[in-house]
Amino acid sequence: MDRDLLLEIGMEEIPASWLPALTIQIGNVFEATLKEARLSTDEPIETFSTPRRLTVRSAKIAERQTDLEELVTGPPVAAAFAADGTLTPAGAGFVKKQGATDEQIEQVTTPRGAYIAVRKHQRGKAAVDVLPDVLTAVLRGMSFPKQMRWDAILNDGKGDLPFGRPIRWLLYLYGGRVVPYSIGRSPLATSSRVQEVIAGSSTYGHRFLTTTGRPGRAVKVKHFDDYRRRLAEHFVILDRSERHDRIARELDAEARRRGGRIARSLVGQGMLDEVPDLVEYPVVASGTFSDEFLKLPEEVLTTTMIHHQHFFPVNSDQGKLLPVFLAVLNMEPDHPEVVSRNMERVLAARLRDAQFFYQSDRQQCLAEHAARLDSVLFHKKIGTYLQKSERVSARAGHIASKVLKTPQAEPFAREAGQLCKADLATDMVRELTELQGTMGGIYARADGRPEQVWKAIYFHYLPVGVEPTAPPVREQLGQAAVSWAAVALADKLDTLTSMFAAGERPTGSRDPYGLRRAAQGVVRIMVDLPELTGLDLRLTLGHLVEAQPDEAFWSFMIDRVRYLLEQRGYDPRNVRAVTHGDPAGVSPLVAKRKLEALPEFTESEDFKQLAGLFKRVRNIARNLDANAPELGGTLVDGAEVALAREVARLAPVIDAAVSSGAGYRQAFAEAAKAGPAVAKFFDDVMVMTDDVKLRDARLRLLRRLEGLILQLADVSEIVPEEK
Amino acid sequence: MTFQDLVFTLQHFWASQGCLIQQPLDVEVGAGTSHPETLLRVLGSTPWNVAYIQPSRRPDDGRFGQNPNRLFKHHQLQVILKPSPDEVQQIYLDSLEAVGINPRHHDIRFEEDNWESPTLGAWGIGWQVMLDGTEITQFTYFQQVGGMDLSPISCEITYGMERLAMFLQKVDNVFDMAWGGGKTYGEVRLREEVEQSKYAFNQGTGIDAERYSSFHRQQFDENYKFGEELLKANLILPALEHCLKCSHLFNLLDSSGSVGVTERMAYILRVRQLALTICQAYAGEGTGIDGQGSGRRS
Repeated sequence: MDRDLLLEIGMEEIPASWLPALTIQIGNVFEATLKEARLSTDEPIETFSTPRRLTVRSAKIAERQTDLEELVTGPPVAAAFAADGTLTPAGAGFVKKQGATDEQIEQVTTPRGAYIAVRKHQRGKAAVDVLPDVLTAVLRGMSFPKQMRWDAILNDGKGDLPFGRPIRWLLYLYGGRVVPYSIGRSPLATSSRVQEVIAGSSTYGHRFLTTTGRPGRAVKVKHFDDYRRRLAEHFVILDRSERHDRIARELDAEARRRGGRIARSLVGQGMLDEVPDLVEYPVVASGTFSDEFLKLPEEVLTTTMIHHQHFFPVNSDQGKLLPVFLAVLNMEPDHPEVVSRNMERVLAARLRDAQFFYQSDRQQCLAEHAARLDSVLFHKKIGTYLQKSERVSARAGHIASKVLKTPQAEPFAREAGQLCKADLATDMVRELTELQGTMGGIYARADGRPEQVWKAIYFHYLPVGVEPTAPPVREQLGQAAVSWAAVALADKLDTLTSMFAAGERPTGSRDPYGLRRAAQGVVRIMVDLPELTGLDLRLTLGHLVEAQPDEAFWSFMIDRVRYLLEQRGYDPRNVRAVTHGDPAGVSPLVAKRKLEALPEFTESEDFKQLAGLFKRVRNIARNLDANAPELGGTLVDGAEVALAREVARLAPVIDAAVSSGAGYRQAFAEAAKAGPAVAKFFDDVMVMTDDVKLRDARLRLLRRLEGLILQLADVSEIVPEEK
Repeated sequence: MTFQDLVFTLQHFWASQGCLIQQPLDVEVGAGTSHPETLLRVLGSTPWNVAYIQPSRRPDDGRFGQNPNRLFKHHQLQVILKPSPDEVQQIYLDSLEAVGINPRHHDIRFEEDNWESPTLGAWGIGWQVMLDGTEITQFTYFQQVGGMDLSPISCEITYGMERLAMFLQKVDNVFDMAWGGGKTYGEVRLREEVEQSKYAFNQGTGIDAERYSSFHRQQFDENYKFGEELLKANLILPALEHCLKCSHLFNLLDSSGSVGVTERMAYILRVRQLALTICQAYAGEGTGIDGQGSGRRS
């Protein structure tokens, strides 16, 4: 009979940002472990989490492991038997070790020869005897963004058990019974106050809220439904979606009560998504702040509220910020007004600080702040932010006039480039680092600099997201679209090229300078350039990076191009096909346009034929020495003459598409039609003939075909992988 | 509850939890972590439970007594529990109840906040404890000190005493907070804040910038050199004090704008180098801070 399994790992507060991924991870790890342990389950595994627990539940786990049928291979037949057919010591040793008898010996043939083998049948053990090892594997199998040691050890021979946060209890039930398990503690720590964590049938409710007596007492549970219900009684809402909905509902109601609505555009999805992972029992509270602070730039107010206090700003129905904030508590306090007063006091103190910084920063203009960047280090091998600003300014000017071909934007781009890092020397950004860029833009505007300059500064750290809707959008950029693009590209490219030159390359998960993000920003601007700026330019990486960085830089950049395109939902094989060749020559915008057209064709028979043969075309064309003079041979065979005609037909269509940057659909359609001609060519024609002149002509034909198709894509990448 | 009552109550609480109550280190430091009762005691395996107030000087935070929340010098109550007890969070929450914070009336959170001090080769995992939106405590499970993995793991609990007292007294300006004995915090410390800020930023002192800088540089170099000599003589505690003096002198050079960018990095690395060597020398001895077993001090 299948039985219900319930595991709860009770931990000290888990970082909210980890929870969504951990909740998925523990399910995957658990499922994989069960499979490995040969414990079958028909029901999907369910996972839950709150800041203090990770929970896994599987409604039906088999009572026994499935039996194991195994063929154990021993020594080669030649080594196992002596010439007289009796077992050698090696053969006998194997049989004995497997606990088998001579009659059980079989022979198996492998690519390496014949071996003796013994067939073993192992009956599955009872689930309850296997489940402790399952938990060990799960605990070992979990990984965390940052793990800690907490004097815990497992007796699996591997010793120390680092984890995300200390584990304080384990609830481990199978069919309503506790699965015996314990996590040991290191001998150096063990004492009356440091004890093993022993699995039991108890959970713990909310830290502070309780209806009965003292909070924090163990709560016994029988099975999953009982568990969920008992937790609810003890002020823990197990379902994240239930917490989320409750928060959203209460926030809206409280905002209404305060005469406005949540400023969703300011809050973004981020905070609403994070709050359910910060609380076990959400309750919404609200407060106010003095009108005088409304004179501060809105960005300062909202950043202080959102980033520093996790408070939600509230807008009036007309979209004006109200002197009101909402907060999600992990508590239903006896006197909510006391908590509100306390929160108001913290916020007021922070806003007073911000007001002080704003006023003191405004004593000087942004250019004066910029001058102080000579004491702010960008990187010890590269120099200060002042030096960086000068490089960004020159580069932004060049990009605006030469690359983006908008000479009238050049002075703005230079000016914005020179000032874009100035806010790093201001008090406000030293305190509220999230406001870098934004604050520089606000101060530039206050200094009376034009929109083309202040907005270029304001948005120059963007874009961060890879999706087409990630900010900034055209409407926000207004007249600053080109100067912004120039500065945003120049700053990121300066960071990338100088960091690579200084040997600071991202490795694995380590990317302390955010180079991947910077590169994605560059690619994103190139891909969406028409939408962002109105400029229909097919920029290549080579246009933007004039000096010659090394191989690693280019392969890093082309990876980011591919990553972004894959994130946009294009098939990875198609992405590779359209980003082939020299990375400096790849235009992400062209690649995207080709990708929009490609899927229509990749399933057609003609196209598949072409794709399948293209690698062969490339391999054979390689035999042509590019520097050798043409020998003037004449094509004779029907199939090759036909292919030459196909190539002649294709050439103008493809050339037109490539030079205009449009019509890729038609070009792919025409190219696909060449499939049968290529197939016929390979069926009928022997390229490497002894006739040197004829061979030269054939190789040149293939080379021409290769060159044409490659202008569209390396279609050999699109061939389905062989199974 | 006055500031001094808060100190008494928390010291009393932690004494009742088996901590010995130590006194502040009488050398200028930026945080209670620099005190040998933390920095050295967490090394090695000897259990140790201790609590002490540490006046903490942060030249860069000086605001001439004009900012209601920020100070050149503030007070930390530092607790070290080694090894860290399983119930440590609950014990901490009990300490809040002891000073009159009923968790049923407030929103208390443990929010992720890890701690790192590159100068001490130290880092830990933990939280900041938020009380109705105010950060009142830093809670850290030390993982490494002096570049060495710790075993057992110590828990460090650091209360920001001014913050907590202001919260309890519901005052918005630190200088209005009641210290005890009928005096406000301002009456006790305002003049010190004003003068120390002027000193830290060398503003309105009339002291030539060159003179300011050369005096502190010289002090730094002398203390550094002597610290190394003390360490050679295996006098670890005196060597640590000289290292901490260097750290503070560097902070002053930094706040007064006396060091350039590249130099700044070099200073930090020098302090780090000495601090690491000191921690490693202490750990390598394999003895307690009382020196028993080394036979070198009596």
